Amino acid sequence: MNPQLLLAIPLLPLAAAIIAGLAGKLIGRTGAALITIAGVAAACVLSVQVLWALLHGAPPWNAPVYTWLVSDNVSMQVGFLVDRLTALMMVVVTFVSLCVHVYTMGYMRDDPGYQRFFAYISLFTFSMLMLVMANNFMQLFFGWEAVGVVSYLLIGFWYTRPSAIFANLKAFLVNRVGDFGFLLGIAGVLYYTGSLDYQTAFSWAPGIAARTMTILPGHAWSAMTVICICLFIGAMGKSAQVPLHVWLPDSMEGPTPISALIHAATMVTAGIFMVARMSPLFEYSDTALSFVMVIGATTALFMGFLGIINNDIKRVVAYSTLSQLGYMTVALGVSAYSVAIFHLMTHAFFKALLFLTAGAVIVAMHHEQDMRKMGGLRHRMPLTYWTSVIGALALIGTPFFSGFYSKDALIEAVGESHRYGASYAYFCVVAGVFVTAFYTFRMIFMTFHGEERLDHHAKEHFHDVGWDMKGPLVALAIPSLLIGFFTIEPVLFNGYFGSAIRVLERNDVVAEIGREFHGAANFALHSVLSLPLYLAIAGVVSAWYLVLKRPALATSIQQRFSWLYRLLDNKYYFDWFNENVLARSSRALGYGLWRGGDQAIIDGVLVNGSAGAVGWFAGVARALQSGFLYSYAFWMIVGLVMLLGWFLVRL
Amino acid sequence: MLVEILFYSFATIVVLAGAGVIMARNPVHAALSLVLCFLTSAVLWMLIEAEFLAIVLVLVYVGAVMVLFLFVVMMLDINIEEMRRGFRRYVVPGAVITAMLVAEIVGVIVQRRLGLDVTRGAVPLPPGYSNATDLGIALFTRYAYAIEIAAMLLLVAIIAAISLTMRRRRGLKVQDIAAQVGVRASDRLRVVKMDAEPRQ
Amino acid sequence: MINPALNESTLTLASLAPAITEIALATGICAVLMFDVFAGRTWRYLTHGLTLVVLAICAWLTLSVGAVATRTVLFDGLYVADKLGVFLKLAALMATALCLFYSQHYLDRRRIHGGEYDILAMTALLGISVLISANNLLTVYLGVELLSLSLYALVAFDRDSGIAAEAAIKYFVLGAIASGALLYGMSMLYGLTGTLSLDKLALVSASHGAGFVIAVAFIVVAVAFKFGAVPFHMWVPDVYHGAPSSVALLIATAPKLASFALVMRLLVYGLGADPVLWVQMLTALAVLSLLLGNILAIAQTNIRRMLAYSAIANVGFILLGFVTADTAGYRAALSYTLVYVLTTLGSFGVLLLAARSDGEADELDDFKGLGTRDPLLALLMLGLMLSTAGVPPLVGFWAKLWIIQALLHTHHLGLAILAVLVSVIGAYYYLRVIWYMYFDAGREQTPIPRQAGTRLALGLNTLAVLALGLLPNVLLSLCERLIGAP
Repeated sequence: MNPQLLLAIPLLPLAAAIIAGLAGKLIGRTGAALITIAGVAAACVLSVQVLWALLHGAPPWNAPVYTWLVSDNVSMQVGFLVDRLTALMMVVVTFVSLCVHVYTMGYMRDDPGYQRFFAYISLFTFSMLMLVMANNFMQLFFGWEAVGVVSYLLIGFWYTRPSAIFANLKAFLVNRVGDFGFLLGIAGVLYYTGSLDYQTAFSWAPGIAARTMTILPGHAWSAMTVICICLFIGAMGKSAQVPLHVWLPDSMEGPTPISALIHAATMVTAGIFMVARMSPLFEYSDTALSFVMVIGATTALFMGFLGIINNDIKRVVAYSTLSQLGYMTVALGVSAYSVAIFHLMTHAFFKALLFLTAGAVIVAMHHEQDMRKMGGLRHRMPLTYWTSVIGALALIGTPFFSGFYSKDALIEAVGESHRYGASYAYFCVVAGVFVTAFYTFRMIFMTFHGEERLDHHAKEHFHDVGWDMKGPLVALAIPSLLIGFFTIEPVLFNGYFGSAIRVLERNDVVAEIGREFHGAANFALHSVLSLPLYLAIAGVVSAWYLVLKRPALATSIQQRFSWLYRLLDNKYYFDWFNENVLARSSRALGYGLWRGGDQAIIDGVLVNGSAGAVGWFAGVARALQSGFLYSYAFWMIVGLVMLLGWFLVRL
Repeated sequence: MLVEILFYSFATIVVLAGAGVIMARNPVHAALSLVLCFLTSAVLWMLIEAEFLAIVLVLVYVGAVMVLFLFVVMMLDINIEEMRRGFRRYVVPGAVITAMLVAEIVGVIVQRRLGLDVTRGAVPLPPGYSNATDLGIALFTRYAYAIEIAAMLLLVAIIAAISLTMRRRRGLKVQDIAAQVGVRASDRLRVVKMDAEPRQ
Repeated sequence: MINPALNESTLTLASLAPAITEIALATGICAVLMFDVFAGRTWRYLTHGLTLVVLAICAWLTLSVGAVATRTVLFDGLYVADKLGVFLKLAALMATALCLFYSQHYLDRRRIHGGEYDILAMTALLGISVLISANNLLTVYLGVELLSLSLYALVAFDRDSGIAAEAAIKYFVLGAIASGALLYGMSMLYGLTGTLSLDKLALVSASHGAGFVIAVAFIVVAVAFKFGAVPFHMWVPDVYHGAPSSVALLIATAPKLASFALVMRLLVYGLGADPVLWVQMLTALAVLSLLLGNILAIAQTNIRRMLAYSAIANVGFILLGFVTADTAGYRAALSYTLVYVLTTLGSFGVLLLAARSDGEADELDDFKGLGTRDPLLALLMLGLMLSTAGVPPLVGFWAKLWIIQALLHTHHLGLAILAVLVSVIGAYYYLRVIWYMYFDAGREQTPIPRQAGTRLALGLNTLAVLALGLLPNVLLSLCERLIGAP
């Protein structure tokens, strides 16, 4: 692989973003769209080429491209590590990004911030590529923060809406918490290995595992556990795991294309990718992996419940994303990194598809997001309906659909695991199948089936979307349908990732499944004998029953279990806790420090006091500069005498 | 022995003359002290057999530079009291500092820790040795580069002197003869035709 | 009698190639001088452009003909050419060219722009070059004098300005004292060792008497004077304030490179056998400069005086780099000098452009409201001031950091702490300029001249400050190449 080509992959979207962002007025709306699409398309083609080359035996590329600076023997570099894991991510990122770029042309047609939007999403693509292609922690952190910044900008894209500003501030603050952990983790790696380079750090992993550190006196912690948990806290922020998940539902304030690109397919999976990339570290800490697993399982099940009661079409998909991210995290926790990445890939396609169909519905409905005001839309927009059904079937794990393969493999992997907490995780992921099926089809039925509940305004202005939006739907529907069937065997069981992911022998649950795996079709047929399929069917049927057949029953259940409904409606009171306890007490602390520490001690004594002293001294010293030539000459001689005297006395 | 007696007596004169330059109330006396200083220095150079340099010192510094200097001093009416006002204020601290400096240097010499003993005194030159020839050869071979730079230094001095003095000051009232001669009537005189005013 | 030094083989033309900068510059000076004298009133305005052309040719020749791979000694050891020298000369050429370019408009508006101005700037540059390549006490002295004499004349260039004449006289007299000290120190050295050659001095054993202390002390005084280190700094504020701004710009930039070279050649190389003496002297000077420079800068109301004290404080930083007496410290000092020169070019450039046609924009009050009066200039000044204050993304931060790092590596903890503390004090008066520009309403309303070319150059200048800050390795690896491992 040649480095220029690799360099071109992130830089083309960056160049496009700069042109569209800075010269947006000059090149016009169409120009901005075309140039960014061209940039991302080129990156996509090149990424496919890279993947192709790696699949056909090219060795992984790992080398620095540019040394930014060297300080105390720690070199901070820009460098690429392109192995099959990276290449897979690059293809997914650029492909979904390309679809979203095209889709945006239609979605944002009337928006005044057209060029700005294209600049942002191209910039995002650059940042994400830098993140996945990094070969060192410094660049990883750069990409990590850069995608965060773009996400922040895009959530608040409609910056005149107070709710958007609130949402992006929330996303920003919550991610700070995660990033703090992440930074501590990186610092830990640097402390123990003295290097920011992946390869060096990974080669030290067994050594770190043997060491302990004392955080609280009297308790020795495994250094590796502390590092991994810190790194994972970063992942929890970015990948929205409980309790740092609160920002993701609110991020739906942003335009739908970015919900699809950033908050479903790519950025939120950065945490998953990072943990998979760090597998050589995580493998040495069972404690950390158990932690990962429990957090993931909790997210997978309990965020799914929230999807059940929501009526906002985008939020349902958002909670579904949270739940699916939980699934991936569970897979990481049982050392099934390849399964997590596999699910990440299939999820990227079908979740982006679901978001884009939701976006199409929203556009058709004139920016109405409440599902209670929809219904029966399948006649009005048949293509959107069918593609969203494909996405939904993939999501709930219908045999032969892409989601089925990744999800079933994931559940089986959890079942095989004997790690502490695995049985809890197994319960969560299996129960989650029912919940997923229920809320997914509740959404489908409420939106597309039943009688039309459109209000007068929506009916009058209803118009189906154009082909610039339908094209990406079709482009995403195909992989949502097929990619699992064709790739499960090579990706999971034929050692696709090679050395990119390291799993210790005793943890290798994927190999366990692999022993019973006899081809993709067989795998699908085998599911007839397993519980998840029936749970999924049960979920769909109960959704049908409650939404279409007996809507009254749903209301009575809601009244009967009003405490449960309130709990779900308030999202388990996470937001309430954050706002009233955490935010309020930290504001109180800040206010106290400001008045007591800042104003009284620092301003009063240190700043004004020392400034006063300096000013007084300056006034005195100024008198020396009298302006008289002989005084100047005199001081020169004094200086000379002092220099001489000092040394002669000491000699 | 004779050389040493000569050296010390002339060296004393150099120091005294130097002190005279800064102590003298009259600037002309100060300039003359400087002349004395140069002359005695020339003698000191003679003692180390640098005859050519000694003569050049007398010719150039005493003969040309100091004469020019005396002219300038005499032409400018320098108010000595004005000049010395600051001086008096500095007498005490100045004396202290000077004493310290002298003490330091003397201390070094007296304790024989100067380090000069590593180099020998000047070796007597063979008879018939030409100071000027040797100097010339050295200057134009070994020190050719230094000579070139020194030449540039002189050029800069010339340019600086000219640019700081040859300058038409703004608002100066001088005659421009050429302009006066070349003036034409039409430049100075304007004939205005106007109707006679009607009688009131 | 044939002098053994008269060696035919050394006098071929090709052997002079490493000295091409000085040869070309001297030739150029004579050519421009002749042109200026004979061009007459019609063509004389071309002198300025011709000067820039000459400087460009010199730079090109230095790169193409004069670049040497290894240390080369010429003219019987009077002259040395090495990579550091070539680079410093290029930097000085560039700095001088930029100075002249920035000054053109300023001088034209004040009608003090004669051909002599350009010629004196070039002779100063020649002095800088000579100093950079000096390998003998004699050449050091000649370089110092050539540079100083040109600068004295330039300071007094505006004959109608009384304050400029006063500054020139002060500079001249004090400079003469410093030169006397330098000569005295050199003569002591000669008396003690019997040689003027820095190569031979470098070999002189460290076992020497008290005479050496006297010699080194006198030489350090002269060096400190050239740098403007406390207590030999008195001329700096008066000259920066009294001289025309364009001359202050020239004095503040390229000669700093010469002073750096002076320390490198004379102290680090020539007296490098036993650095303890001058290291301790420089330590004292550095500490005094840092303290006094920073603290006095606060009390200034005139921005040029403020920049003068800031220069003194920055010199303190450069000297700290030498105090470490190791390669990393010298590198840090070099990068600090380069950064300082680059930033000062910019900030004085802004000052020149903002100057009123009848006077100077040198009271701090003149900068009030610049943010609204001329947003571009204010933005440039913002970047430059932040860099000088040492705010991270800009290159000034790295320069300070490297100095402090070098100090820590050589266990000068106290000095490192002092450096950090005075940086904090220093930040105050740089930020004050920014405060005035953006948060105070100005009374001055006259628009600042457009001067697209100057603005472009200033913009690039500031951009370089930013770019080097983002890519500090460029500067770091450059300094590593120039000042090799010990």
